[in-house]
Amino acid sequence: MTFHIQQAFRAVILAAFTWLLINLHLNGDIAKYINPKYDLLSKTAAYVFFFLFFIQLFRIWSRKKKHEHQCHHECSHDHPRSPVKKMISYSILIFPLMTGFLLPPQTLGAGAAAKKGTVLTPKTAESQMQAETEVDPSLYDHKGMVVDRKEIKQGEYDENMKRLDHDRVIHMKDEVFEPYYGRINAEPEKYIGRTVKMTGFVYKEESFQSNQLALTRFLITHCVADASSIGFLTEFDEAYTIEQDTWMEVEGILHITQYDGFEIPMLKISSWKIISEPNEPYVYPVYIKIK
Amino acid sequence: MNRSVWIHLLNFTEIIVLAAITYFAVIKKMMNVEFITFQIPASFLQLNTIFLSILIEAMPFVLIGVLIAGFIQIFVSEEQVEKWIPKNRCAAVTISCVIGACFPACECGIVPIVRRLVAKGVPIYAGVGFLLTGPLINPIVIFSTYMAFGNDMRIAGLRMGVGFAAAMIISLIMSLFFKKNQLKVQPHQETIRESKRKASFFVRVWDMFKHSIDEFFVMGKYLILGAFFASFIQTYVSAQSLLQVGEGWASSTLVMMGLAYVLSLCSEADAFIGASFRHMFPMSSILAFLIYGPMIDLKNTFMLASVFNMKFVISLIVLITITVFTCVSFLAWL
Repeated sequence: MTFHIQQAFRAVILAAFTWLLINLHLNGDIAKYINPKYDLLSKTAAYVFFFLFFIQLFRIWSRKKKHEHQCHHECSHDHPRSPVKKMISYSILIFPLMTGFLLPPQTLGAGAAAKKGTVLTPKTAESQMQAETEVDPSLYDHKGMVVDRKEIKQGEYDENMKRLDHDRVIHMKDEVFEPYYGRINAEPEKYIGRTVKMTGFVYKEESFQSNQLALTRFLITHCVADASSIGFLTEFDEAYTIEQDTWMEVEGILHITQYDGFEIPMLKISSWKIISEPNEPYVYPVYIKIK
Repeated sequence: MNRSVWIHLLNFTEIIVLAAITYFAVIKKMMNVEFITFQIPASFLQLNTIFLSILIEAMPFVLIGVLIAGFIQIFVSEEQVEKWIPKNRCAAVTISCVIGACFPACECGIVPIVRRLVAKGVPIYAGVGFLLTGPLINPIVIFSTYMAFGNDMRIAGLRMGVGFAAAMIISLIMSLFFKKNQLKVQPHQETIRESKRKASFFVRVWDMFKHSIDEFFVMGKYLILGAFFASFIQTYVSAQSLLQVGEGWASSTLVMMGLAYVLSLCSEADAFIGASFRHMFPMSSILAFLIYGPMIDLKNTFMLASVFNMKFVISLIVLITITVFTCVSFLAWL
């Protein structure tokens, strides 16, 4: 029997990846990295890692003869031959494990929004059609990938959209933030004078006046890397006293204002309060389930 | 230094790192996390969050990719490949593009598959066709594009149509210049074939998983490098500075393609990002973003460069850039 240190090392790495993923799911931090709708996918990845770890266990010890046989297979993979190269390639594999276990996830904030540069976007012709036409269900129910999505039914969606048009106060709750934002941004003139209630973090640009700030949320399609920021410009006298990245809950009347030569919706704030960062800082696109 | 000394040193280091991982994973909860984090700049924490999120997102697809690659390695023989792929170059390219279009893959999962296929004797140009259409054209991508652009089928349709045409053109041109398999390490097929013939089904399945593991360790490090660079750019380079360059449709198209390259988004998730640029750029530039990103990006380049010759990878990137740009310009001119 021979002990193969390299194979043992690989088994540990596979186990560590399994552990990292399971750990993220158990303590809920996974929501800080990916859209919870894709939970199932990354759980599956954890199971596959565990399975590969199990297989790898059998390669740690081997009889001499079998090892020669194995080598035939492994020669077709380009193993770095020199120990230094090997060390480098394993350090690369270990790096995400170390940072994953050691460093806490960070919620994206105003700094990231500034880098992306798409917070205040004027209306676009295409977005007027937002979610009005029907979705082909065969396209939708594709594979297991979307099974775990927290879809809402068409009826519920219509109900939400009706409330956008008729409620006294437009309450932009997390689950309707993206479709409401899309609608209001597409046709702001339709909602002038309505009261909007929303939460978000403070984001400021240099071109803002002292009584202005943007209240923003990050929209996550798949993972944090594809986050884009959406939100409204707001106006109230104390705006200059509030720091970037502060979370606020506000209520205000919708107006239209000029920004960078575009017409954009703006909230004149009637009441506001500072809140702590919510448990779910991100919002997600809504998928409609059609029965 | 003596080689055996190095190896001993390496083994020793491996044991230490092994212990370190276990130590940190177990002890972390008991330690004061604040102690570590307050010395690390917030921007690095943000980089790390984006980096890990790309990895977590890509891992399932890479695992599927390496499992399929393992399957091809063990269960598909060179004779079968020879029988299936048409001799005619155009027919081979068309078939590979169509198969790629039917095959739901992600750009990082597809590299190990293509590598195995090419090692099994699939012509390199057919491999390219498969590599390009696999991540670009599939039901999930169509659906997310459809959703992101306000349930408008036009953009999704153009993305698929123009993307397919571009992939065909690229593979055909590649077929004129590259004949050999372009792999960095030439496969030793004889030995594998012999040992495989004798093996029972169970042993072959077992071998398949072992290959998948080896494939993961080869591909994994390039995925990690690519993801790290992509997140580094996202954290420290402002997209806004890039966007200011984009005046006029030619330069705005190039800017969008550059953005698609450095962001390295998954093709299933890039549609919403593309949609957020609608008010800044003409539709043709957005389309270039949507087609170019799935075909080639930073993360993908690292993986390709680990498998194929540098000359081949660079030619492929240049050709994809020119072709996508031309196709989209042609469309804008119509």
